Amino acid sequence: MSKFGVSADHAEGHERPKPLPEITPFAQEFWEGTKRGELRIQRCKGCGHSQWIPRPNCEECSSRELTSELSSLSGVVYSFTIIRQVVMNSSAFEAELPFALAAIELSSGVRLIAQVVDVEPEKVSIGMKVEASFEHLSDKVAVPKFHPIV
Amino acid sequence: MSLRGKAAIVGYGETSFTRANVSRGEPRLSYWEYFSLAAELALENAGMSKKDLDNQGLAIVHPEVNHPLFVGVEVAENLGITTRWMITTSHGGSSGLVSLAQAALAVNSGIVDRVLCIAGDAPMTYGDTMMLTEHRRDYEKPFGVMGPTSLFALVMRRHMHQYGTRPEQTGKIAVTQRDHAVLNPNAIFRKPISMDDYLSSKMIAEPIRMLDTVMRVNGGSAFIVTSAEEARKICPRPVYLLGFGECDNYYHDTKQLGDVTSTGVGQASRDAMTMAGVARGDINFLQPYDDYTIAVLMQIEDIGFCEKGKGGKFVEETDISYKGELPINTGGGQISAGQPGLAGGQVNLIEGIRQLRGEGGERQIDDARLGMITGIGALQYGRNVGFNSVGILGTEV
Ligand SMILES: [Zn+2]
Repeated sequence: MSKFGVSADHAEGHERPKPLPEITPFAQEFWEGTKRGELRIQRCKGCGHSQWIPRPNCEECSSRELTSELSSLSGVVYSFTIIRQVVMNSSAFEAELPFALAAIELSSGVRLIAQVVDVEPEKVSIGMKVEASFEHLSDKVAVPKFHPIV
Repeated sequence: MSLRGKAAIVGYGETSFTRANVSRGEPRLSYWEYFSLAAELALENAGMSKKDLDNQGLAIVHPEVNHPLFVGVEVAENLGITTRWMITTSHGGSSGLVSLAQAALAVNSGIVDRVLCIAGDAPMTYGDTMMLTEHRRDYEKPFGVMGPTSLFALVMRRHMHQYGTRPEQTGKIAVTQRDHAVLNPNAIFRKPISMDDYLSSKMIAEPIRMLDTVMRVNGGSAFIVTSAEEARKICPRPVYLLGFGECDNYYHDTKQLGDVTSTGVGQASRDAMTMAGVARGDINFLQPYDDYTIAVLMQIEDIGFCEKGKGGKFVEETDISYKGELPINTGGGQISAGQPGLAGGQVNLIEGIRQLRGEGGERQIDDARLGMITGIGALQYGRNVGFNSVGILGTEV
């Protein structure tokens, strides 16, 4: 499965596994959280800025003193696409086609890209309220997938 | 001290583009061969031999597919030349223009007299791509993001939502560029398409259709930069670098929740026009980097040919063909001519050089004297393009 290039290992239990992330040092708390069903984002002790994705320092004030803060699991769709073909990714996603992929603005003030499930992709819309649950890709990581809420 | 008119392009060349379909007898070459082929074409075009580039400068665009980190010196070794100045540019689709600007700086500073700038890539031969960004590996692929097409789809949907942009408008870009490709012997697609063809083309990542995207090919191109003074002596039709601007990791509004419909090409174009001492209205043609039709539309707005959000209406009401008021991507762009991996950033640049030398063949723009070329590359997580550059080239200083 060298097709996925640099990824260290791949999700187990799938015939065609999904690609797994490398767990970089400053992302450990995020990935630990996903296993417990939490979304953790970095919050700067220096200036209070919240950021996603995990970075080695605050993108605003450059402080390296970042706390791992529990983010709200709910947010609003900022934009979305309906994926109809797998390109530049694992064929494991073919089983899920077509699916909605959205940029979601969480109440915690960051934007995150993830799938929106449990709804026909055509029914997804900008402004739709969604909430995260998690798909376990391995015993080390889970990824958030969102579903509509009222 | 401005770079305006200090350096010029005195020769250029582009290899043929191919899908490397071996069963159809098409060659399946390595990127090394494309570097070599492209260099040879540019030297021949400039009336130079390898000796003229020995102990001079070399600028190499990093291929997109897996390649050794020390690609630059390996290219020099294959060419059998010693270099006295060398860079490799890693700016995605912006790399070719960055090579040009850096070469102009090197020549202008007196480090070398001439720079050979080469790009070559072979995604059809190697298939796999190297790691382009960590965020793609860690927070995009596992989350279901299908590379840049997904991310541009998010941008395009938002553009449609905010401004009412319609598929018929991006479709006009695709149809016009295809008309241009029909007249470009080096384009990979040479059959015209209609608006109906565009509208009924397969959705890849809604709202992005197949005909909004590029076809990857193998290929390469090269050009030679000298001082303007030398260019006038040795070249009958030098193409001068008049302006350049670069704006990478551009933030629009806030860092986390910024508007994704704007690019750094706006700032880069203002810098380039200031350096060149020209206004938008002076520009005879635009060769914007086109990995997706929406990228062309956003750049038209960001450069200021119309207000933000009015790009759709602008392309609808403007003749953007080579015969029109604002000719755009007159060789077909990457969408119709083909995208040779990261050598793709030079496709639009080479077409700009061709037009300014009056070598556009059947698609030649009348009286082309001043052209704007852009390069964009990489996609930032949840935002827009990471690398943005703009060059203004002209036939006179
Ligand atoms: Zn901070």
